[in-house]
Amino acid sequence: MQPEVMGRVERRPAAADPQTSETRRSLIKRGLAALPSLALGETILLSPDDSFAASSGQLYGQRKAQRRPNGKGRLKNDYSKAKLVRSVCLNCSTVCGIEAYVINDKVVKVGGNPDDPNNGLTLCAKGQSGPTIEGYPERLLYPLKRVGARGSGQWQRVSWDEAYTQIAKRIRTAIDMGKPEEVAIHIGRSRIGTEMNRFLSAIGSPSLFNHRALCSSNKRASNYVCLGETDWESVDAERCKYFLNFGSNFYEAHQGAIHVARRIVKGRYDNGAKLVTFDVRLSNTAGRSDEWLAPNPGSEGAIALGMAHAIMDAGQYDREFLEKWCNVGPEQLHRWLKDRGYTPQWAATLSGLEAADIRRLALEFAAQRPRCAAFTNRGSGAHYNGFNNDRAVIMLNAITGSIGVEGGYCYGTEPGVAMGRLLPDVGLRPPPVKAKSAIENPPEWPLANRWQRMKVGQIVYEYLKQGRGKCQVYMSYTLAAPTTWPEGRSLAVDVLKNEKLIEFHVCSDIVYSETAHYADLIIPDASYFERWGFDNRNNLELRDYVSLRQPIVAPPGECISFVDSMIEIAKRVGPDVSKYLPFKNHEDWVRQRSKALDPLVGGDGFEHLKSKGVFVDMRKGKSYRMFDRDLSANELKDTRVDPLTNIIYRKTASAEAGVGIMMDGKAKHGFPTPSRKFSVSSDEVAQAAKEVNWPDVGWPDYIPVPSIQMMKPHHLHLVSFKWNVHTQGRTAQQKYLTEIVHHNPLWINTDTAARYGIRSGDLVEITTWRAPAHALKMPTEGAVGSAVVPAFVTEGIHPRVIAMSNSLGQQYHGRAATAKRGTADPSASPAFDRQLIEEDADLAEDLWWDPRRGGTGAGYNINAILPIYPTPLVGMQGWYDAICSIRKV
Amino acid sequence: MTSASPQWKLAVDVERCIGCHACSVACKVENNVPLGRFRTKVYYWEHGKFPKVTRNFLPTLCMQCEDAPCLKACPTKAIIRKSDGIVRVDPDLCDHENKCSDACPYGAIGCDENDIADKCDFCSHRLEAGMDPACVETCPADVFHFGDANEPASKYSMFMKRFGSETKVLKPEEKTKPSVAYRGHTVEMEKKIPKGRVHDPYSYEIETWAQLEAEFPRGKRVRWLKPV
Repeated sequence: MQPEVMGRVERRPAAADPQTSETRRSLIKRGLAALPSLALGETILLSPDDSFAASSGQLYGQRKAQRRPNGKGRLKNDYSKAKLVRSVCLNCSTVCGIEAYVINDKVVKVGGNPDDPNNGLTLCAKGQSGPTIEGYPERLLYPLKRVGARGSGQWQRVSWDEAYTQIAKRIRTAIDMGKPEEVAIHIGRSRIGTEMNRFLSAIGSPSLFNHRALCSSNKRASNYVCLGETDWESVDAERCKYFLNFGSNFYEAHQGAIHVARRIVKGRYDNGAKLVTFDVRLSNTAGRSDEWLAPNPGSEGAIALGMAHAIMDAGQYDREFLEKWCNVGPEQLHRWLKDRGYTPQWAATLSGLEAADIRRLALEFAAQRPRCAAFTNRGSGAHYNGFNNDRAVIMLNAITGSIGVEGGYCYGTEPGVAMGRLLPDVGLRPPPVKAKSAIENPPEWPLANRWQRMKVGQIVYEYLKQGRGKCQVYMSYTLAAPTTWPEGRSLAVDVLKNEKLIEFHVCSDIVYSETAHYADLIIPDASYFERWGFDNRNNLELRDYVSLRQPIVAPPGECISFVDSMIEIAKRVGPDVSKYLPFKNHEDWVRQRSKALDPLVGGDGFEHLKSKGVFVDMRKGKSYRMFDRDLSANELKDTRVDPLTNIIYRKTASAEAGVGIMMDGKAKHGFPTPSRKFSVSSDEVAQAAKEVNWPDVGWPDYIPVPSIQMMKPHHLHLVSFKWNVHTQGRTAQQKYLTEIVHHNPLWINTDTAARYGIRSGDLVEITTWRAPAHALKMPTEGAVGSAVVPAFVTEGIHPRVIAMSNSLGQQYHGRAATAKRGTADPSASPAFDRQLIEEDADLAEDLWWDPRRGGTGAGYNINAILPIYPTPLVGMQGWYDAICSIRKV
Repeated sequence: MTSASPQWKLAVDVERCIGCHACSVACKVENNVPLGRFRTKVYYWEHGKFPKVTRNFLPTLCMQCEDAPCLKACPTKAIIRKSDGIVRVDPDLCDHENKCSDACPYGAIGCDENDIADKCDFCSHRLEAGMDPACVETCPADVFHFGDANEPASKYSMFMKRFGSETKVLKPEEKTKPSVAYRGHTVEMEKKIPKGRVHDPYSYEIETWAQLEAEFPRGKRVRWLKPV
């Protein structure tokens, strides 16, 4: 494969290195530094990055390589020579449009794509850091096969042909055994879900495991229940007057961060909006809000209910919206709030906030109706009761009539639906998959896959361990499970090591990650600057759009994009599989799909996307009040109106489907919920709950969190968070980001710290405990884990809460991520192949946070001791329900 | 929008800043700034008593002073301020003596034994290509209002027309006539900006968020060295 690339691999004379000159073929090379010079068949030892020698405590500064010819001053980018290529960022999941500047085949800089409706010219720090991935000296460049025991870090370079053949053989065996579901792909972040689904469906496997339950499934499920239309709101922030933010840190954390942040800044400073944030920790968003309130964790839904009560009591609600468009009228809603006793006083008791504040903020919010928006994210959603919290918050928008209106809680077509409409998939499609997997679709969480296949990612390893499924072929894709999964360092690693549970592990990544360390075969992926793909997100400009990720530069070494690999593997599995992937390569696939845009752009859709990077569908106006849209004659064909509910149904082959609702004698689209109205209460949720014996009657009631209920006075809540310069597991290797944040001490409130005699810098031992959970049976005796970490004493956190960021403490991913400064140990490795990837003198010489020269190091991984704790029904991880005890070490 | 003889100026609307560091990272990538050095930096300040706590941000960079002390301190006359208002280092004249660093009240310039003085020049090479400075272009919060002061329709002029009376300069007591204007910044935060030496990387560490001093323990200070 790729002989032209192989031919470029030049090596330095071995004579310079007496230890390796004689026996270099037989010698096992050590460390990531040796990767770029590995010859076919050679073996290499990759272990935690201990192979970089420490250097002196001083820094060298400016680089010779980047200087002007006379050695004085740095060269500057000559933009007159730059080629511009538009594409899509993937340094977080927000997928901003980018414009890359390429000089001499190198990406020297990226900016935002001015035509991207969400981000325009702006990018965040992570987006700006993108080009450093391209010069990353520890890139995986060749397929590697494990030669020692799994996890021993001994690898042999193999050809792509051997890699493909090995994978294909295993997949063939699984199919022939009648167990296609035992072929799984487990993704961290891919944005090639369509392609992966198609590959797996061609095999007959449903087993695409993802991480949505670790991310946002409660928020998404809540939007589906209430709106029916989509999983993610698009607050019309520039025109809004009042933001009630329940635990979203949009100034820092993705997804959607920059898209939302830039509009909320405009709303606040150009439109006079007020921002109120509920968060247990002073995030940058909380720290820059007009008011920050730190409630007790898990009480977010209670606060929203108390506010709803106050608004209804004061008569400050939107009667018309509730009567017309909500499946619960104002009187019924008010009665329910009163009957349940959800008063501001009750919410104050649960949240620790003042009842007067809850009432005051509720009425301030309602006074701005309908230009007001109450929204959620991890702070409210990543709780055992998050599905209820988020529905209670969204309900505030219905009460104030802000749903879908200018300046309110808006939404558009779901991005996946818009993608399917604008760029339908092409070629012979595989039939629906019949095989079942209890890991992919665990019956204990009946709503996890109800609206989209969000799954329950955090139970994958536990269910493998319990024997609820098996993996003959486990393909991990940019997945950092040992770092980012709850109990990752223990449970995930145990299962990844177990060759009975995971018979064959193929890891696709661009770097040697902790997941790669436990693989049997590593196939080097193309980075997001080197591959194809379509993308989009909810558009805050409220129009359907699609964007194109295209190669900006060629991948280095033998890196191949995973979709190209899937097409090659399918060919080798057999024609029964490859017939469903009838494409030369990913580019060909993308090109064929782009044809659908030809009539819309009045030319070549593919060329349009390549040059503009994005297509925005301007045929319709902004998606305000989607529910109020008149149905077309075409949509009304073969329909009937139910006389009791006014719902318009269309007969399908098997059943009837709602398509709209009669409103004042007109056929309207309504909300695509079972009632065709905004749903405060949901029979569907109640029914699902009944099936699994969970006491939910379908209303957004407050439910207590078992772990919090069992807290003793000495227990504290332990929560995690994201920094603005990091994603959870995939940015620590980027030097400029990690230079800003490489250190994540434990946040502890000043008063609490004083009680324990803790000062900033002191070491603290945290021990976490497991509480009983509905559906998931794991032993609750004993501690989940302990960690010794340094403390950071601050006023910016709730006194009962301690917090630690979840992005750091990597054991792999190279020098920036592990705070190991220095060059490769020359006795263990020949020099880098500078034609392929240059050494980065920054990492070798100037990595100032290396603890060996007095720096603060690479941080700590807190996910290791956070218990797996899925929400009932939906299955989202209750990240913020961990309880712990601490002691000063 | 530029006039025939542009006068490049910047106004920083700090209230809008979300502390995202996009400007800092854009600058480092654009200018290949080595680890440990910064041409632009976003300072954090957290203050107050729970639950009334606030966090402020202060993006800093070279103030392009009209009466630039670095320029006066340079023994080789390598620092120049042309009619376009930008203070630049002539790489062929700089003898890296570091007098500029000692003189700057804003931590914005520094030499090392290894190479010439490093400072923000409003990404002059980007201006030549008709582009905004990297920090200005990427800012998601419209904090930077940059442009030609001689052109009434430039973003700088438009901002100053509307808010000019509300702007101040950082550390006015230094009397260097900074040409970068700030609106809505927290004056106490000026103490975080080092005087007489370049920005220290340790001022990014979370333990420094609540402190106003720019000083760090000697052992933590970064020292620069000539490569062997």
